[in-house]
Amino acid sequence: MTAVVILLTLAGLIFFSATTIGILRFPDFYSRMHAAGKGDTLSSLFMLLALVLYNFHEINLGNLLVAMKILLIVVFIFMASPTATHAITDAGYESGVKPWTKKPEEESP
Amino acid sequence: MIWQLDLSVLTLIVICAFATIMVKDLLSAAIIFGAYSFLMCLLWTEMGAVDVAFTEASVGAGVSTVLFIAAVYQTSRTVKPRKSGRGLAKIFALLATLLTGLVLLIAEADFPGFADLSSPASLHVSPYYITQTLHDTNVPNMVTSVLADYRGYDTMLETVVIFTAGLAVIAILRRYKKDQPFTPPEPYILSKGYPDTIIRFVARQLVPFIQLFALYVVAHGHHSPGGGFQGGVILGASFILLAISYDFKTVLGIMNEKWNVLLGNLGVLIYAGIGFLCLGLGANFLDYSILSKVLPATDRVMARSHGMLGIEIGVAIAVMAIVISIYLNVVSRGKYDKGL
Repeated sequence: MTAVVILLTLAGLIFFSATTIGILRFPDFYSRMHAAGKGDTLSSLFMLLALVLYNFHEINLGNLLVAMKILLIVVFIFMASPTATHAITDAGYESGVKPWTKKPEEESP
Repeated sequence: MIWQLDLSVLTLIVICAFATIMVKDLLSAAIIFGAYSFLMCLLWTEMGAVDVAFTEASVGAGVSTVLFIAAVYQTSRTVKPRKSGRGLAKIFALLATLLTGLVLLIAEADFPGFADLSSPASLHVSPYYITQTLHDTNVPNMVTSVLADYRGYDTMLETVVIFTAGLAVIAILRRYKKDQPFTPPEPYILSKGYPDTIIRFVARQLVPFIQLFALYVVAHGHHSPGGGFQGGVILGASFILLAISYDFKTVLGIMNEKWNVLLGNLGVLIYAGIGFLCLGLGANFLDYSILSKVLPATDRVMARSHGMLGIEIGVAIAVMAIVISIYLNVVSRGKYDKGL
């Protein structure tokens, strides 16, 4: 059990750091949002699953209820986080943020 | 208390506080301030004050950020550069800040340690609340019982303060004349207002669950962190989510101005009414144990629990109506015609 918890937490940390590096290193707004939206959601899933398993020292009603609540949080994160990313990206597109292109003559931020 | 965690969170809080002041773009400042609130919420959770952390998460990081953004949307996004020639005032402000900080630092040396059992605060009254709450009121969450029962006056007047804030916002901002049409301020490129199906669908799916959770927070506040304030704010936030994802008119169709003001009144009235009911039955104001005379099948202990539930419902209704009303007024400049 502990090994699985450690494994899941590590996976979550790896995805979180990938998200952070993506936000810092990607060239423009859209690819940064892509990193933030996907990595964040997946790593939250791993972390919360690790928490669920960590909570199960013994199986009783209280632990099951806590596990249910954490899994519900996972469901809501999976609904809300990609939608929020979509909303931010959409707002950026509507206010005219130019996507990054690989042409050398174009000076893009 | 894990001091490494505390230290890192506190460092981030200080950084966020400085960033909020320094950033020229007010929208960024509002969002950094939301992050600041969320870090405060982490700090409080870490210190074991989960109810306070819950309030901070829902009010500070949630609704007040939205209200700040609404205010920025209606005013100006950038700070006007201040004219120079205020050197004396700046020096005076710096001196005052340094002096206050020095006094606070000196006072800090005399503070008892965190959770010090021999400090005056934990010697006189708090052992009574900690040990006798369950026996007195049958409510396991002692924060709720202290908030709603032992210091019920204070909480009632807090509700009145929130109600007064809502009234003040309505009195200052609400305008009934339809003289000038709504023109958004300059630096914005507004969305063209086409309905975004994804956002609308997800918001439509989420709102019932948010409201259900809010009711759970209100009703379950006796046993877990939460209560009227948090539940009311979450209920209000669900309507704000509707207003942002759909449009302004949708929320006005569900909760129009009349209902808002009426519900705000009703919430405070429920709270004070329960107090006066106790008074009428022959006990002190807000002494819920006397309610066992009118509530069927309750003894004096359970009556206190039920009385707390009643006032929490009142608080939730008032806070919800006031949050919605403040949002609607701020975001439409009090004209109720169009908004974020």
